[in-house]
Amino acid sequence: MERTVLPPHPGLIGSEAIAPEFIQEDQLKKFRPGFSAAWLVAPSAIWLVLFLVLPLIFIVVISFWNYSLSGMVPGFTLEHYVEYFTSSIYSRTLLTTLRYTFTTMVFCLLLAYPIAYFLAMVVKTYKWQMSLFLVCMVPFWTSYLIRAIAWVPMLGRRGLLNNVMIDFGIIEKPATFLLFSEFALTMALVQLYVVLCIGPMFFSLAKIDKAIIEAARDMGASSLQIFRQIILPLSLPGVAIGMIFIFVMIMGEFATAVVVGGGKFSVVGTLINQYAATANYPRAAVNAIFLMIGMMIGVVFIMKLVDIRKQL
Amino acid sequence: MKRKQAKSARNAAKGMTRRHFLGTAGKTAAVGAVASTVPLFNIVKAADPTRTVGLAVSVINEVQMKASDDLGFPVRGQALGYGAMFGKMLNQNDQYDIAEGYFNDMDVMWPSGTWQPIDTRRIKDWDKVSNLTKTGRLSPDSNPGQGDAPFRQIWLDGNGKRTLNGPTRYITMVPGWHNADSIGYNPDETGRPITSWGDLFHSDFRGRVALLNIPQIGTMDAAMGMEALGLIKFKDKGNMTRSEIDKLIEFLIVKKQEGHFRAFWESFGQSVNLMTSGEVALESMWSPAVTAIKAEGVKCIYASPKEGMRGWHGGMSISAKLKGKALDQAYEYINWWLSGWPGAFVARQGYYMSVPENVKKSLPAVEWDYWYDGKAAAQELPDPYGDIIVPKGEIRDGGSYWDRFSNIAVWNSIMDENDYLVKRWNEFLSA
Repeated sequence: MERTVLPPHPGLIGSEAIAPEFIQEDQLKKFRPGFSAAWLVAPSAIWLVLFLVLPLIFIVVISFWNYSLSGMVPGFTLEHYVEYFTSSIYSRTLLTTLRYTFTTMVFCLLLAYPIAYFLAMVVKTYKWQMSLFLVCMVPFWTSYLIRAIAWVPMLGRRGLLNNVMIDFGIIEKPATFLLFSEFALTMALVQLYVVLCIGPMFFSLAKIDKAIIEAARDMGASSLQIFRQIILPLSLPGVAIGMIFIFVMIMGEFATAVVVGGGKFSVVGTLINQYAATANYPRAAVNAIFLMIGMMIGVVFIMKLVDIRKQL
Repeated sequence: MKRKQAKSARNAAKGMTRRHFLGTAGKTAAVGAVASTVPLFNIVKAADPTRTVGLAVSVINEVQMKASDDLGFPVRGQALGYGAMFGKMLNQNDQYDIAEGYFNDMDVMWPSGTWQPIDTRRIKDWDKVSNLTKTGRLSPDSNPGQGDAPFRQIWLDGNGKRTLNGPTRYITMVPGWHNADSIGYNPDETGRPITSWGDLFHSDFRGRVALLNIPQIGTMDAAMGMEALGLIKFKDKGNMTRSEIDKLIEFLIVKKQEGHFRAFWESFGQSVNLMTSGEVALESMWSPAVTAIKAEGVKCIYASPKEGMRGWHGGMSISAKLKGKALDQAYEYINWWLSGWPGAFVARQGYYMSVPENVKKSLPAVEWDYWYDGKAAAQELPDPYGDIIVPKGEIRDGGSYWDRFSNIAVWNSIMDENDYLVKRWNEFLSA
């Protein structure tokens, strides 16, 4: 089987197109003979087994354990699974969580893609691209919780927005739906996570070879055609990666629901937290398992829509 | 130097258990530290540290430093959030010596065998510990309150099982810091004094009320409100039946759908923010929050509801794994907590201690009069760190210690139907 290692994709941000110079795989093998790649993989593999795979297995194991007020007892019971399916609260909470996540993802996509497009396609110089991209990352300089809490003086009864609207005579009494509501929760989630999807979208857009676009234009393609037939398909992997990022994070999120949602919403994260707080780990584990299954289905679904591997 | 210490620690670790290893490593490091400052021949062998775990209410750096100084062995504290503390106490009793826990968790902790019986004969000031935790009554006509009151959780019979027939020689936990919680309110916003738990659900305050989002305690506050309105009579608010829980949750869901609740808070800081930002007019609250809110320049009064407050009581238990020298140190540490100084320290944060007469000796009279006796502050008073938090002339809400703790409506509890409660509470939240 002949395999070749592809050269770096020309047109990466900041780099001029480099003439490809194909390297044969057996040439690579000559480099430091006797040094197995397994050594390179070992540290992270051990790390993952110890701190990801084993804990996951343990979560599955204790989901079958008995629970009494004085702690868990090893054993095998399907009680917690039966409870999960017979009481609607768990699946309802999972669906609520999915709904917030989906709404947030849609808004993130609508906001992040134009920003990434602007950075990659409209801003011409590398220097400006990078500085503006860094500006997008500024929110990460403060803690996640502070970013969430900052919405309170913005949207609260005596918040900036209410004061402005009252001063301009738009409303008489402070609008209360702005904070501790589904509106506030969605808005805060979008603001918190939109920056996370700008990154991957920006990189995949910036990778697009400008020569292709020029060629299309020379052949008489309209801007819309170029976008639909060249830019959009080539940037989809970035979109998918960005969406996977925030999908997984928002599904497991519960702090924002507490701080900005005012704790008025039950998401899977809060449910797990409450069971864990009184050491009912089996029930917390069952909820965690179904949350993970939900996440995996979501990720697989996104990957089915876009073949990331093929297009990267 | 550091490398040497690490190396000797590694050598020492060979063939030892993890616990011994940790102790030895600490010792080696301590010896190293001493050796670097004094001549080599003057090597002092430091004692194994006593490890304590709890909430930030009692696990405080200054307290541990003072304890280490007074006791001659190091005390190391780990302050955790409630859930983490609970899990650690229950599942990792080889990772601590002293659990600075809470009587309301005893239904879980004691049967699990994570702690060992404490011999009251080894507690020096046992006779000075007040009757609040021994009989449930500070004075003969006190109301002991429903729920997991300490006197129902403290005594052990000859077989190491909890018994209601105290006093006995052995106990589950040495009583320590405690307080009673109620409703905090901004009088400018409510327009009238709050005198009953029922006010939590009064239609005047629609959309201006917050509840505590910890199901075990939040339901009790709500239950007191519902009962005060005459809508239901609970047999035991500290241990509700399924049908009582159902009625309570249905009532709460109706209220929630009316838009009665502004928010549900989980942490101390959130409850402070809700009041200082003007989001709520009244909310169930922990007493130190009042001080924090006033410090922000916002008016706040701690209500003293006629139905009584919701009490909670912390204390010290000993890990079942402890024996020998480490056990002796644990008793020394517990005795030290009852000596007066620590009680005076937490008094300035608004918490009470189980040995009032010892605290009185360690607290200047003006401070005692304000914190315990419910009198007006004769002068400005500081918090434990020296910042002034009480202006001259101020009176502590809720009266004297004895008034407050003679009328506890219910004590923090874990109910038999805890799982059902958590589930229904989440239905309420997602309604």
